[in-house]
Amino acid sequence: MGTDLGIVASLDGVTRRYGAVTALDRVSLRLAAGEVTALLGPNGAGKSTSVAILTGRLAPDFGTATLFGVAPTRPAARARMGVMLQSAALPDVLTVRELIALQSGYYRDARPIEESLAMAGLEELADRRAGTLSGGQSRRLQYAMAICGRPDLLVLDEPTTGLDHAARRQLWATVRAAADNGTAVLLTTHYLEEADALADRVVVIDGGRIVADASPAAIKQSVAGATIRCRTNLPDMRLRQLPGVRSVSRDGAMTMMLANDAVPTVRALLAADDGVTDLSVVAASLEDALANFGENHEEAA
Amino acid sequence: MMSATTALPNGIYLRESLTELRKSFRLPQFALPTIITPAAFFGLFSVALNHAPPDQIAYSMATFGVFAATGPALFGFGAGVAVERETGLIELKRVSPLPASAYIVAKTSASLTMAALALALIYAIAIVAGVRLTPVQWVSLAAVHLLATLPFALIGFILGMRFGSKGAIAFANILYLGLAVVGGLWMPVSVLPGWMQMLAWVTPSFHLAQVALATIGVPMRESLVLHLAILSAISALCLWRGAALWRRNPA
Repeated sequence: MGTDLGIVASLDGVTRRYGAVTALDRVSLRLAAGEVTALLGPNGAGKSTSVAILTGRLAPDFGTATLFGVAPTRPAARARMGVMLQSAALPDVLTVRELIALQSGYYRDARPIEESLAMAGLEELADRRAGTLSGGQSRRLQYAMAICGRPDLLVLDEPTTGLDHAARRQLWATVRAAADNGTAVLLTTHYLEEADALADRVVVIDGGRIVADASPAAIKQSVAGATIRCRTNLPDMRLRQLPGVRSVSRDGAMTMMLANDAVPTVRALLAADDGVTDLSVVAASLEDALANFGENHEEAA
Repeated sequence: MMSATTALPNGIYLRESLTELRKSFRLPQFALPTIITPAAFFGLFSVALNHAPPDQIAYSMATFGVFAATGPALFGFGAGVAVERETGLIELKRVSPLPASAYIVAKTSASLTMAALALALIYAIAIVAGVRLTPVQWVSLAAVHLLATLPFALIGFILGMRFGSKGAIAFANILYLGLAVVGGLWMPVSVLPGWMQMLAWVTPSFHLAQVALATIGVPMRESLVLHLAILSAISALCLWRGAALWRRNPA
């Protein structure tokens, strides 16, 4: 049991299907006190399903979910958790202060309301009705409601969608401070920048499987680079030997290469094959990089 | 070491209920019609246009009182739950430490308060029109009327969990008016066509009206126990269905 010290929540071999679609395939995840874990992946990768199972809204088909040593559906577990969902419209007619006060009343050791307001930058908006808030202001209110109970586990599902740069920075700072005070934080995002700024650990999920579990730096390195698309007659094996090429894939007649740096690779490509056509170069998207990350690190994981 | 102890903060049910009431009163365009409509219908059809003697007005008061109790329950739960389910608020409540029962209790308290206001208007009109009951009769009638909220709250809850907000409001309207007519809340069941009289037996409104009439001394054709038994059966069925929908729905 010694190794479980500080683990506040875990998924063990969790599989969840919706009809024929496998949303999660034997996913295991541990969240530790004081650690910010970012769950990173494209839409439909299984992030929301993982969060739904961890927070007790969904039961796994196989495997087990544990929250503070008990099943996540138990009220005792929820008493120590604060959650910010991806989309939740709050009652329009209640004020910011009323909503935070109501939520604080669910917890035994809630923060003073003024403190929650300040942490989310809502002091000026305290007496505004929720229905009059902008999208970003509403997200900050939901954040205040997630942290007001001093939770031991803070679950943030796409927390900064719709926030401007300053609000995003402020939210990051308070999340970091909460983690430094021992709170376990689970953050889902498709912004690598966010994972990099906040997380101690990045778990990359794609197609319902965990494809990487590494430091933000390692993930970032894999994402940097460019995607080169072209028609070429060179075989894949030859393309992989070009300088800086990390992966090669084909889509019909088109060939895609993920490269660390476009210029030397393209130069070498054109030198090796004078029949190259339809050449284009774009910055690597997160999705390309994640797919590549999964491929390259499967043996290592 | 990580095991959590459950002790909910004091007053969690009360605060949730007061918040629910506050929400209702800040939306007067929804709250007022369900409070005023039954009293307006009662005053117009049973008192103003009818010139009925007080014992006939008392009869109408008993059945319109059931009508008054159905509106806030059907709409508060039907529309309220559907909207809050669609917007993700129920999901947010379900991941919070708030017990599910507190959500239901709060909605029921708000419906009961609205029903009480609607009933107060109806009783006031009846008293002005000359209706006189014994204190025991008043208390039992009010109790039956307020309890009538519960089966309709369950029906509204099922609508809210089963349909989207537009569908739930449409069904709530159909049931609001349909159950009033078939249950004999606007006019006695005996004036309805035979097939409607048969249908009345499966509606909670008919049995509630019969129980309400019994409390003011109107002779009954069937036994009180039978009406209460059927009401309990309908409520149990709705409770079972509602609980199943709540458990199954991940949101």
